[in-house]
Amino acid sequence: MSGVAVRAVGMVSGWGCGVGAWPSDVRGAAGGRRVIAAQPAPRASDRLRRATRECLLAVDAVEALLADGGLAREEIAGAGTALVYVTAAAYAASNRAFVEGGGGALHFPYTAPSAVPAEVAIEFGLHGPYAALIGGAATTVDAIEHAAALLARGACARALVLAVETFAECADLHARGGMLPEGPWVEAAVAALLEPSGGLGERERAPHVPDRGGSRPPDLIALGGTLACGPLIELAARRGGVVELRGRWRGREAIITVGVASEGPARPARRES
Amino acid sequence: MAPVEPVTIVAAGVVTPVGGDLEAFWSGLLTGADGITTIERFRVDDLKVPRGGEIKKLPERTADLACRASRLLATAADDLLARAPLDVDPTRVAIVVGTALGGVEELERALEDPRDTRHAAGALYDAPAHALAARLGVRGPVLTVSTACASGATALGLGADLLRAGTVDRVIAGGYDILCRFVMRGFDALRSLTRERVRPFDRRRSGLLLGEAAGLVMMARDREAPACLGRLLGHASAGDGVHISAPDPAGRGLALAVRQAMAEAGVTGEVIDLVSAHGTATPQNDRVESGVLREALGARAATVPVHAIKGGLGHTMGAAAALEAIACLLAARHGIIPHTFGFEERDPDCGLDIVAGAPRATPVRVSLSTSLGFGGCNAALVLEGGPA
Repeated sequence: MSGVAVRAVGMVSGWGCGVGAWPSDVRGAAGGRRVIAAQPAPRASDRLRRATRECLLAVDAVEALLADGGLAREEIAGAGTALVYVTAAAYAASNRAFVEGGGGALHFPYTAPSAVPAEVAIEFGLHGPYAALIGGAATTVDAIEHAAALLARGACARALVLAVETFAECADLHARGGMLPEGPWVEAAVAALLEPSGGLGERERAPHVPDRGGSRPPDLIALGGTLACGPLIELAARRGGVVELRGRWRGREAIITVGVASEGPARPARRES
Repeated sequence: MAPVEPVTIVAAGVVTPVGGDLEAFWSGLLTGADGITTIERFRVDDLKVPRGGEIKKLPERTADLACRASRLLATAADDLLARAPLDVDPTRVAIVVGTALGGVEELERALEDPRDTRHAAGALYDAPAHALAARLGVRGPVLTVSTACASGATALGLGADLLRAGTVDRVIAGGYDILCRFVMRGFDALRSLTRERVRPFDRRRSGLLLGEAAGLVMMARDREAPACLGRLLGHASAGDGVHISAPDPAGRGLALAVRQAMAEAGVTGEVIDLVSAHGTATPQNDRVESGVLREALGARAATVPVHAIKGGLGHTMGAAAALEAIACLLAARHGIIPHTFGFEERDPDCGLDIVAGAPRATPVRVSLSTSLGFGGCNAALVLEGGPA
């Protein structure tokens, strides 16, 4: 498989925008809260008025990605950008609202997990290869591998890997189910833009200014409190060089290594344990 | 885009409203079995349309699984493994299944009882795939794809990628979905369900009915399996980026998926012998899809046989594309194409050769299968079958 490099990463979370907003003492900052809820940015446009919170957070993450990479919307629009979405639980809130609220024609389409990438595709004009995977951090590693495979066979010029997790509306259900790790559960949306490493031009090779502020969240990632977002948060926090991303979910760990634009090519190498 | 390495489809297994295993499914398609009935398993008296493709009986051997979605998957897997044993290192096997609904019925049950823990644990959409992995002892990647009603096709594509990358040596891929109140209420609210018969591509088509099913295939790298049902030559997906629930009226996403899948397969419309269409029988879907197929097939559009299987099964959502791919391979194996159940009156705007009235005996080697889903998910598969 040919190399992939990370062009840009955008992130919003319950702690704020970017990794820099992440507290050094997560548990202390949580103050006993089980969920650190994320709020979407206010919008002037009416287009997304019916969209769910997870859709809005996803759009915010892609906006942050564009800002991080200094990219215009036009640079990712079109059939050349693949969209690979992953979540473990970000559909549960809309499902519950539909069940408990009696349902309705306007709300039902948003119960599908694929509503999140659909709104992102509509908002940013993405028409390329398309996948939505369900699972936690190990599945995000699978999503990155799928994106790398699409790039390797020329199915797209760039791939946007997007992870979103929300917990607030279904925290009681998740607690009952016992499927999620110890809290706090931090809601987040993270987007990473991958490109073939061999195709990077001079501008893209210029070092990024890392969006890291001083703290990074390895303790929380290790706990898995961000589920599918974990590996992409790691990517946002450790910008530079070759990065090994690990993801664990339902007893399975997956690992992938990717490079970043400032360091040139790297081969995605995957292991399972 | 250069052609990719084909992937072998070793065998298939299914459970559907028209047949509980592969032979019964195929026989049901050929004889025009009608799997649409009044739904009995849950309350439907408040729905405008209480009918669907409900599976009335599941084998006792899967009764230990409380989750119906897991039970459908296990039943299809039993059928599959009876035809092709899984005789490789379990860490080198992946499960990749598509679903539109996952374990959502478990969520419904968990919400009914605030003390419940068992159903709450099964409410995440990937729970049935992991239950299948546990049942089969599979220890490789377990992926759940949820691109709405294109999920099954995307799952086959992802499975092929895992094989080509050398991540695993076998993949069990396909799709499933169940009928439950959640989805029936949703489509009822959307007014997408017909009170009549499902009539794909018919001039009088008036909507879809839902169904439940599971369809699985075992995949291996080309020439690494001793016998095979056929091969997956190419696959592609593309997003519309147009509307949250309706397809792009111009069909651009589906057209792109079809073009890319054929490019990956290294084929043109000239060699397509059969199209298994998504064919939901909604006025808009069939209009968009027939336009895309006319363009893809070019001068042969009016002569390439096209069929759709949702008339007798209902729209089985996450299972649909997997079942349609399996039907393509069975058509090639037996040299006969099932007719489009429910189709009676040609739509003058369709311009395709819809197989109607009775199965058509004809050689089939290369097939194209198309899928569309909520959120503008489009996918296409190019398959190659051969005689037994």
